[in-house]
Amino acid sequence: MLLEILKRNNAKILRHDEKVILTLVPNDKLRPTAELLFKAGCYYATGVGVDERLLGVGFSMYHIFNCEAEKRYVILKAVASNLRIPSITPVISGANWAEREAMDMVGIFFDEHPEPLRLILPDDWPEGIHPLRKEFHYNERPPKVEFKPPKREKKPGVMEVPVGPYHPTLHEPEVFELHVKGEEIVGAVYRGFHTHRGMEKLAEERMTINQIPFLAERICGICGYTHNCAYAQAVEDAAKIEVPERALYIRTILLELERLHSHLLWFGVAFHLLGFDSGFMHTWRIREAFMDLAELLTGNRKTYGMNLIGGVRRDIDEEKKKKVLEILEKTKKETKEVLDNASGMKELISRMEGIGVLPKKEGREIGVVGPVARASGIDTDVRRDHPYAAYGDLDFKVPVYKDGDVLARFLVRYEETFESFWLIEQALDQLPPGDILNEDYELPEYAIGIGVTEAPRGEDVHFVITEGGNKVYRWRPRAPTYNNLPAVPIMLMGEKLADAPIIIASIDPCFSCTDHMVIVDGEKVCRCSLDDYLGRL
Amino acid sequence: MNVIFIAINLAFALLIAPVIDGFERKIRARLQNRQGPSILQTWWDLIKLFKRPTVEPQDSVVSLYKLAPYVTFTAVLTTYLIIPTLLPSSINFVGDFIVVVYLLGLATLSFVIGAFSSGNAYAQIGSNREVSLFMSEELLLAFIIGTIAVIGKSLSFEQLFPLPLRISSALTLILLFIVIYVASARLPFDIAEAEPEIIEGPLIEYSGKHLGLLEYSIFLKRLLLYSLLLNFILPVQTTVRLVYYLIGIVILSVIYSTFEAYYGRFRIDQAVKLMKKLSAVALIVWIIALVGW
Repeated sequence: MLLEILKRNNAKILRHDEKVILTLVPNDKLRPTAELLFKAGCYYATGVGVDERLLGVGFSMYHIFNCEAEKRYVILKAVASNLRIPSITPVISGANWAEREAMDMVGIFFDEHPEPLRLILPDDWPEGIHPLRKEFHYNERPPKVEFKPPKREKKPGVMEVPVGPYHPTLHEPEVFELHVKGEEIVGAVYRGFHTHRGMEKLAEERMTINQIPFLAERICGICGYTHNCAYAQAVEDAAKIEVPERALYIRTILLELERLHSHLLWFGVAFHLLGFDSGFMHTWRIREAFMDLAELLTGNRKTYGMNLIGGVRRDIDEEKKKKVLEILEKTKKETKEVLDNASGMKELISRMEGIGVLPKKEGREIGVVGPVARASGIDTDVRRDHPYAAYGDLDFKVPVYKDGDVLARFLVRYEETFESFWLIEQALDQLPPGDILNEDYELPEYAIGIGVTEAPRGEDVHFVITEGGNKVYRWRPRAPTYNNLPAVPIMLMGEKLADAPIIIASIDPCFSCTDHMVIVDGEKVCRCSLDDYLGRL
Repeated sequence: MNVIFIAINLAFALLIAPVIDGFERKIRARLQNRQGPSILQTWWDLIKLFKRPTVEPQDSVVSLYKLAPYVTFTAVLTTYLIIPTLLPSSINFVGDFIVVVYLLGLATLSFVIGAFSSGNAYAQIGSNREVSLFMSEELLLAFIIGTIAVIGKSLSFEQLFPLPLRISSALTLILLFIVIYVASARLPFDIAEAEPEIIEGPLIEYSGKHLGLLEYSIFLKRLLLYSLLLNFILPVQTTVRLVYYLIGIVILSVIYSTFEAYYGRFRIDQAVKLMKKLSAVALIVWIIALVGW
């Protein structure tokens, strides 16, 4: 079915295996192909703009689609002629951000893009300088440009309430501009990317293939390990590296441990936002046990530093296994107790029921992922649809709810929490013997790989083009929040201002994941290159 | 003699109100599996605030903004002259009950006006909520006052303390117990100050002394409401009353802070709806009192 669509549109197939179909699509056929793929049930995962001039190709755009039905990823590659590629945003609104990012970072222009505005670059960034082009170096600082914000007209009777850039709900600098009439929200605008960290550039220019996992882990403080895994998988996919089975099981155990701690963190935050601070304190107390577990298994409470390309760095022995099972037994009981008590509280439930509804159709168009999608009736889970690590051998359920409100997202996470306990128990039980690291590989030149994991917040997509030697040519991590955030203004419309925090929190936003490193030197941001900075240490 | 006793009452309130808050924080902390700060922490917080300079926001109506904390504080403090705390002495006159209600209203009103004049959007939303909650509270309070006046056949505290034991007086006291909970801005009714939503609402722009005064008046108001409820129950003999009073304060703060630890926050419309339902109950209680039960 997919191949038929692609062939009918004169697409040249570059790679075709059980995981990925990579095709080169002529520019005039790009939009219809994308539309047909979307109608065939593929949703837009992400888009990557690449400066491939060094490869003699020019500027190209990779549109990545997730086709769950056929358990494949379809990548449509389009090469810019005269810096222009037709935009697919008019047919798939989920492509909006990805195309604008490519516009900012690589300088590809998308014809007929409905909203050709800057997304990532700040307003005082000069025109015509694109940071992800190969001639731009990671330590360059372009001159500032004088910028005057345009004057905005005030609508009568509408009050503008900024949630952010510094607000107790957000914990990170982002802005939601809420237009409020009385208590009702009549408009919502998201402005993010306040702290773009330039990780991709840093990885391409300064780091070797086995250093990047540690950078990837620092994309996010909560779901770092799954980024780490996704990156490792992407390189393993590109270079066709066999990973020992035992390593895959250990990855699975840690991934699920991370999901447990992340979900409990979310429950705590949600309870706090609803004013139920006791719930917050108790869920975070239980979460402490998972951090201790992680320390037992990896030596670190968070930012495990476990993965290398081809496997993991530490083994799990019998003694640790026994101890983990012991702690899991205890925490499972505690988690159940606290969460059941909380979901028995009427006023908590009444604050979540019917609030912040995201209809399935809109969700699909934007391409929402993870618990947000599953709460809106979209049955998607990367662990099941595109098995990675040891998920193919393990048994687990994927909870799906139809209501699409905050309560549904709460319940999806509730069920997932207990599935994670079950998964860790299974993985520990079936842990196969053998090596944990395969170092016998060679990195091919310019091979394309894609690594996908189901983070606690949804699908993580890492796209890698290798350069050979020990370098990557292009690395693009896409965090789940990147796909979920555009749905928040839809959820906010027509709701009460008092519900705004819980609605924003209900997608479990991770803004730092989305923004991708700022060097902080003591109190202020260091205006120096990484070398200068390291010299100062 | 009476003047000295009233002075002792005032000094007691000023000294103890923040300590009670510290005590409640400790209880909440224990219930939330935390160690919690020392009981005197609220005092240290206030002292620190009083040492700090104050800042007036650019868009504010400075005179109103600066005046509001003083008016709020004075209004609450004046009420202590009429409602006895530690000792049963107070200034009494016919209709002092009404004066107390108005003084508490004045405290809320100046609090809200100060917040409005700060020109901050969050403060305005917060004061908006404060007003709607206050209005719904007021109706309930009016019924309660009516009932108490009918039971005691008077509008002067001297004749009302303590209430005679009747079905209607018991029901009224329960309602009063709830109103006090709502009026002392505790979860789930701290909607006006909701930190995660509107960042302390009316308090957001206040700093230093002004913030200290406003917070101090909130603690004083809580103790005042406790005393009001206890006065309706306790006997008037001095020594027994004193012991019972102190025990009563401790029991009330334990009950209230336990409730607070086990609630999430209401939305303003949910709170107002609840208050309307309670007002209907209060109306029935008033009728019961009129019948003479």
